[in-house]
This record gives sequence, structure tokens and C-alpha cells, in this order.
Amino acid sequence: MKIPHKKELIELQKRYRTDKRIGEALGGVPAYLVAYWRRKKKIGRYNYPKYSEEQIKELWERLGDDAKAGRELGIRSHAFRRWRKRYKLKEKPVQLKLEQLKLELDINFNLLRKSMRYTIAQNLLASRAGKKKVEVGEIVEVEPDLAMSHDNAGLVIKQFRQIGVEKVWNNKKIVIPLDHRAPAESEKTAIAHKSIREFVREQEIRNFYDIREGVCHQVVVEKAHLLPGQLAVGTDSHTTSYGCIGAVSTGIGATEMAVVWATGRIWLLVPETIKITIDGKLPKGVYAKDVILNLAKRLTVEGANYKAIEFYGSTVKEMSISERFTLSNLSMEMGAKFAVVPFDETAQTYLVGRTNKNYEPVFAGEEAEYVQEVELRVERMVPQVACPDNVDNVKNVAEVTRVRIDQVVLGSCTNGRLDDLEIAAKILKGRKVHLDVRMLVIPASRSIYLQAMEKGFLRDFIEAGCVVLNPGCGPCLGAHQGILAPGERCLATTNRNFKGRMGSPEAEVYLGSPATAAASAIRGRITDPREFL
Amino acid sequence: MANTLRGRAFKYGDNVDTDVIIPARYCTAYTPQELGPHCLEDLDREFVKRVKEGDIIVAGKNFGCGSSRENAPLAIRGAGVSCVIAKSFARIFYRNSINIGLPILESEEAADSIDSGDELRVDLDTGAIENLTKGRSFSSAPFPEAIQEIIRLGGMVNFVKERLNNR
Repeated sequence: MKIPHKKELIELQKRYRTDKRIGEALGGVPAYLVAYWRRKKKIGRYNYPKYSEEQIKELWERLGDDAKAGRELGIRSHAFRRWRKRYKLKEKPVQLKLEQLKLELDINFNLLRKSMRYTIAQNLLASRAGKKKVEVGEIVEVEPDLAMSHDNAGLVIKQFRQIGVEKVWNNKKIVIPLDHRAPAESEKTAIAHKSIREFVREQEIRNFYDIREGVCHQVVVEKAHLLPGQLAVGTDSHTTSYGCIGAVSTGIGATEMAVVWATGRIWLLVPETIKITIDGKLPKGVYAKDVILNLAKRLTVEGANYKAIEFYGSTVKEMSISERFTLSNLSMEMGAKFAVVPFDETAQTYLVGRTNKNYEPVFAGEEAEYVQEVELRVERMVPQVACPDNVDNVKNVAEVTRVRIDQVVLGSCTNGRLDDLEIAAKILKGRKVHLDVRMLVIPASRSIYLQAMEKGFLRDFIEAGCVVLNPGCGPCLGAHQGILAPGERCLATTNRNFKGRMGSPEAEVYLGSPATAAASAIRGRITDPREFL
Repeated sequence: MANTLRGRAFKYGDNVDTDVIIPARYCTAYTPQELGPHCLEDLDREFVKRVKEGDIIVAGKNFGCGSSRENAPLAIRGAGVSCVIAKSFARIFYRNSINIGLPILESEEAADSIDSGDELRVDLDTGAIENLTKGRSFSSAPFPEAIQEIIRLGGMVNFVKERLNNR
């Protein structure tokens, strides 16, 4: 065969790094032969830095702390310091003061309310389509700010190859975390994962997170890959979650994503919007999950099909990003296309230290037209449970306390964050999981996993008799890690209870809050968490 | 007359979700041939045994709700189903079906009156649905031309290829 030129060999080395991989890329050339060519052409071993200057600088400026920045990369603080010194980053970055930001924002708030008559969806799609305004029902062609795919990137890649475009439209806007079947549960998945890793290397997609990082949606929000006022599409239905920081996002299929990768464009119908106002203080034992399940009951599983949702009200105002995440996430179960909590100080504070980029939030005008307005007061709400086989089959917890359970799942993009783990850990601390129950705990991301460890929650879980799994989707979609046998019942903090969702079609899944999950695990049947608070 | 379909009806209820259309345990496969034999397995085990090439699924509201998995319409196509008629479709399923070239039609009346086993004829150009067994006919809104073009070309991939070539 033809020996590659020096230039080609250097290019190959940049992409594939090791002699072995270069050999594989050339169609099965043994590694020693590649090494021989290298020596002949006076090319050293691979020594391109693992982390680029840009990457280290960005982390340093954003976080200003060796330990925190190291954690993002999965290395220790002194290792990060060494990288930093290598790129001569010595000065501590000037952190932006919160108060300064707030002042700027107050002015912006008024400036941005220009289009008085339009909803968030309309204002955002208009700005992306380069128009002054768009009306409901119009079809616009837009370029998204982010294109997210997870394990199903395997199918996207297959379709992308069929289209026949060589390079993706923008490798900086594509994010791929592996989470659905992580680590690979079968040979087929292992092959799909491998093809994704190869594609990522070939296309130089920087924002690829291998199985270590956590659930895709949590990773996107946590690492601020998407910012308020931006538009995202993802090959996962729960992509609506990014509404929690005031972004607009929706799920699409794999073929459609392949088209986005190839052309950077997608057509979207400007949707009608439902305005949901939630007021009142949440009573003890009632959480965002209970609120959104109650809403699903009212609106039904197709109540928001093709529509956008905007959340307002004092309860939402008080909610953390994590709680808002739960709202936006489960809105999909009502069919929602977008589900946005308008940007405010809470979102702003959340993003400090996560991004140093500028962003322009989008708001609805005061005279925006809504297709439906829903008002909900929560002071007297009780914990809610969604019963099989639909998310809108919601009952008060008291109606289902006789249901015995075999498994409890705490985790997922819906309820696997630190506050969720904390609520459950506090209930389980010093108590024991019922002998007939398997309780699985799945932190939503690596960073949450670490924090839960530092705060001692993981110890509480393990002492109580839980099984703590690696960050990822776990058994939520029934792929692995806790499949149900026929006749078994599970209480999960996840997002779907469809027939066969978590394994056997003769098993049943009930959905509830992390508190309900912990309380039920102790009693062995569905339990009102207020008994433990 | 390539745009006329003919087949027997298989009728199901509301909210047929993508998890019952194709359970996640089979979603490591991507081809209609692999997925087809498991289509609707958790809802109706008899379906794949009885379905013949060209048959039609008729369902209630919110067909295809849940996951964004494209394996769902691929499985339906793989089972030999020629089109799906429902009262309404979930958003992502709607897009996915068009993108992979599976015709879908929305008609409340048709979905109500058709029973399992009825012989149907569907004209994709006009959106007309004929129940040959009962002798009734219904109309559904035909697709906009651009979408018809996507279906005619067998899906989004071919459509985009064509568009890129003509540039």
C-alpha cells in the first residue's frame, strides 16, 4: 500500500492520536508499521495537549478555582494548576459581581419587551428567522443555537451519511452526551457508542461527553451549553427542559437532526401558547413534581400538543432552577413543544460562574395573546401520584396508599438533582428501605454525584439499603439497570409510566416526587411523605 | 395511481405511545426489517402475526405520544403498514413519520367509524379515505405540497439530497 506523506500522517495523528488508531483508520495497518513510518519521517509520538489553551482559559475565567475547574474535567486540582501554568494563566480572573449584573439587567428587561403583542415563542422565532414578527401557524426556517443528541446519535450519523454531506454545519453547536445505555448494556449499543466516538473525532465535535457525565439534559443546562433567549433542538422528547433557564427548546427525530447537522436549518411551525399561572406557597411535602403532575391531570396528556407553555406566578418565581427543570421537563408529557419559565434573577444567578458569554433573554409582551390561560393555587395541594398507564392518570397519594411496590427509582432528568437527592436522603437517614423493596438511586450528573458524596447523601442512601448507580438514565426507559418482571410494581421519580416502559408490559410504574419515593421505599407501599416530615 | 393505498384496518384506542409501538429493549436496532417484527408487541401480540403488507392502522387521539424515538414509525413501516389514520398525532411522531416517509392522516370521523378488519382505500393526494366494507367515505386535509413531496421521495433524506443537488 501507499505510505502516507508526512503532512497526511501529521493530520491523521491529530485526529486519531495513537499509532494503533491511525493504523485502524488506514484499514488495518499494524501499529508497529505506523510507528516505523513516523520514525522515518521524523514525527514524534503524539504529544498534542489533552486540553487546549482555549479550554483551560475558559474554565479558569469562568470558575477561578483549580478544584472546581479540575472537577469539570475530571482531574485533581493540582493537575489543573499544572495545565494552567503551562498556558501561563496566573492571575485570578475578575469575577463579575452579581449586583453589577442586576443593574444592567433591569434596563434590559424594559428594552426587551418591545413586541407587546407576542408570546415568547413568537418573539424568539421571529428574531431567529430575521423577521420583525411572526404569527401563530406560520412556518419559519431557522438555525438553532444548539443541536443535542444522545445515544441515538448512532442513528443520526447513519442518516447524515446518507445525505452525503461531508462536514457538519457547525461542530461547536453540536452536543452529544451518552446517557441512555451507559455504560453499554449490549454489544449493539457498544457498537453504536463506538461509531459515535469515531464520528465525534472525525468531525472534531468538542462537546462530546462520554458515559461518565450524566443525563443529557442535565449536562446541557449545568454546563450552560444553551443560554436564555436561545433556541435548541434535541433528539429527545424531554428537550423542552431547557425552558427552565428561559431558553426555547424542543425534541425532534433522528432524521430531522441529520438534516440539521447537514444544513443547519430546521422548519418550525409557530405554536399557540398556553399561559399557566401558579400561585401560593407550596405546603409541606408538596414539590414541583406534584404541581406538574396535577397540571397534567387537568390538561391531559394531549392538552398542550403542538403548543408552547409559559409559566408564571409567585410559586414559580420562588422555585429554584432544579424545580423549574421539573416543570419544563414534564410539560412534554402534555405534548408541549416548548415549556418556558421566563428568565429572571434566579436564572441569572444560576448562570454566574457557568458562562462568561453574553446572552439576550426573550420575554412575552404584556398584551401577548394566549390560546388558553390556566390558573392554579397550590396552598392546599397534597402529594400527587401518576398511576399506570398514562401520566395524566393522577391521584392524591391517599387514594393509592394500599399499592405494594417492589422497586423504587430515584433519579432521571425529571428528579435526579441535588435537591431531589437531599429531600430523599433526609427522609431515609437513620431508617431502612423495606426488605421487599429494591431502591435505586441515580444522580443526574457527575457533578451532582460528587456533591451528593461530599454532603454525605450517598452514605445515607447506602446505609439505608439503596443501590447507588452511575449518573445516566438508569432504568427510566427500560433499557437496563433495573428492569421490572411481570406483575412487579415500581414507584419512580421519572417521567413516564407507559405500559412496558420499565420492562415487562405486565409490570406497573407509578410516578411521584422524591419525597414520596423515599417514604414509599421505607414502608414497602406507596406512602404519603408527610408522615416522615 | 401510485398514491392510492389499499388495506385492512387494525383499530386501536387513544394515546398509543411510542413505548408500546416499539419498546426500548428493541431500540438498539435502526432498520425497519429488524424493528418490524416487534411492532406494537406490548399492546397486541397478535398484530405482527396478522398484519399483511399494505394494511392500515387506525387509532384515536394523540397517536405516537411520548419518546422522540424514530424507531417507532420505522417499526410500523417495517411491519408492512402502508399508512396510519388517527384522530390526532403527537407532535414529534407526526414529524418523524413524514421524515421517514410513512404517510399519516388525521380524521376524527374516519377513526370513529372504522372497525378492525374493514377494507380501506386511501388517496394520499386528496386525503380521501374510503371504507369499502361499510361503503362510507371520509375526507382528511391533504398534506401541503412540500410535505407531499417529502413523502413521495420516500422521506426527508432523499428530499434534502435532492435539494442540495439542485442548488
